[in-house]
Amino acid sequence: MMKSVSFTYALRSLFRHTRRTALSVLGIGIGCSMGILSASWMGGNTEMQIRAISESGGGHLKIVPTAWPETRQNTLRLQDPKEALQAARDLPDTRSVSVRASINAFLAFGNRSAGVEIMGVQPKEEKQCNRLLFRGEMQGRYLDSEDQGCVVIGQELSERLDVTLGDELYVTVAGKDEIRSAMLRIVGLLSVGSRDLESTFCHTTLQELERMTGYEDAGEISILLKDHKDIPKASAALRRSLKGENEVITWKEVNPGLAANVEGDTAFMRGMVSMIILIVSFGIASAQITAVLERKREFAVLTALGLKGRQLMSLILLEAFFVGLGGGLVASLLGGSAAHLLSTRGVDFSAMMGDEMGFADVLLDPHIYGAFGAWILLYAFGVSVLASLLASLYPAWLTTKINPTNALRTVQP
Amino acid sequence: MNDHLIRVADVTKVYKTGKVEEHALRGVDLSVDAGEFLSIVGPSGSGKTTLLNLVGALDVATSGTLHVLGKDLSELNRPQRADLRLRSIGFVFQAYNLVPILTALENVEFVLELQGVGSERRDRAREILDTLGLSEFADRRPNELSGGQQQRVAVARAVASKPQLVLADEPTANLDGENSEILLQMMRRLNEEDGTTFLFSTHDDRVVAYARRVIRLVDGKVAEDERKQGK
Repeated sequence: MMKSVSFTYALRSLFRHTRRTALSVLGIGIGCSMGILSASWMGGNTEMQIRAISESGGGHLKIVPTAWPETRQNTLRLQDPKEALQAARDLPDTRSVSVRASINAFLAFGNRSAGVEIMGVQPKEEKQCNRLLFRGEMQGRYLDSEDQGCVVIGQELSERLDVTLGDELYVTVAGKDEIRSAMLRIVGLLSVGSRDLESTFCHTTLQELERMTGYEDAGEISILLKDHKDIPKASAALRRSLKGENEVITWKEVNPGLAANVEGDTAFMRGMVSMIILIVSFGIASAQITAVLERKREFAVLTALGLKGRQLMSLILLEAFFVGLGGGLVASLLGGSAAHLLSTRGVDFSAMMGDEMGFADVLLDPHIYGAFGAWILLYAFGVSVLASLLASLYPAWLTTKINPTNALRTVQP
Repeated sequence: MNDHLIRVADVTKVYKTGKVEEHALRGVDLSVDAGEFLSIVGPSGSGKTTLLNLVGALDVATSGTLHVLGKDLSELNRPQRADLRLRSIGFVFQAYNLVPILTALENVEFVLELQGVGSERRDRAREILDTLGLSEFADRRPNELSGGQQQRVAVARAVASKPQLVLADEPTANLDGENSEILLQMMRRLNEEDGTTFLFSTHDDRVVAYARRVIRLVDGKVAEDERKQGK
């Protein structure tokens, strides 16, 4: 196929001022690299936070009693929990489904006491979906589905109550019709690296909780998906299956504060990246305006020869496209390498977080890894080309305003 | 009235710079027929280049009517004037004005590409260069050519689209005697063989010697219109 002269013209124009072109390419490449690095960090951090929130008991999705989102009362129970559980299990791409119920309780041992929310769980399922259990260190053992009168508490709570393995806690709960009490034997003490989380952790079996409180059935079904990106699809499918009974909520509704935090971080990063790209674009626009003004006479000649405004603009935009491609290449290499490093080595915040790995009932990861994938190439070339084209729109438009009579002005060659 | 290739009737052109008005043309009347080889002469500031700008649809007259190739230029918008230039008018400039980053062949081919000529445009451009004896310069860029060679390539570019009219602004001003002769003979040949109309603005007696008609402008008016036997 024959190469068009317009293509040749645009390509060779880049080499009239090699240094200027190189600086433009480098500028847009570095700007996009920073964008890639930020996007990698943002992606990895968001992913980490969502994973931490959902694995810390929240799940990606929860089926809760209809009134729960408004009242948040832990005495509410699901309607037809078996059907709800089946609907949750029928969802494709689920990692685990966990059935729970909670109640406010007062624990006492000797002359010490503490108020907690006891959670009744199905031990086998809970161990699969709760990172506090699969990441924490257990002294003793976790619950077994056959257990009766057993409880597992956090290390910090045990210190407050001055109890150890084998001790029996006197538990007072607000039962269905009256205040009830029971004795629960401590079979496990959990350490997770967060005093906050350890001071509130208190698990017993779901059957035990039902026995203690008189409230039958589950209070919530927590669903962990394989990928949080499937939340909208899974949520819609679940709502269709439940037909209005109970309510389906996402991790954002369970933890609105953390969700706002994640969204705030994302918005801030996007804002920063947009600013960087905007500043780079202004730089490119400035360089392009200079280039256009330098070639004013040439454009006047081309106009005199019959080139129309849109054809002139196309030539300038074609040049900008090539600059964008160059910038994309630089961004792929520079930003891609940095993002790869961030995704493989990560950033360790252990020292900064100290002994506290928990925040708002969530066990966080001290090590954050950036996101990395083929999207980086798309981002690098897409953003670079787009920024370069947008930055060149005004200079390109300027060429259409050049008076073609300039071509006949008598200037010595 | 519109049988002429060019018909200029009572055309004026006034340039305004702030409150100052400069009358470049003061009621010019003239007509040019197809196939003419015509020189517009006159002292600096007499309006030669302004008249060429108007006839070439590069600028618009302040008053009067101007018909070129059967079209009333005052009725054409900017893209239509660009289209008229692209398809029917060739330009040769004093400063050659070849695109410096394109080879001689590409400079000629560029015009054909803009006209929408397809894959045969390269062969056509090469054929034009061959016809004008420029084939050995085809792959050279303007900075690798002498002034005379550049101007000959500029003529090739101007006639590439087989225009009916070629406007040349001081085409020999930067050339020595030998190159001027070569260029003028080339343009005369194109005029005689293809019937292309040539309209020059010039100070150069050598150009005037080749012209078959000489129009003298003085202070923006036609002072003399002489038909003669050209060289």
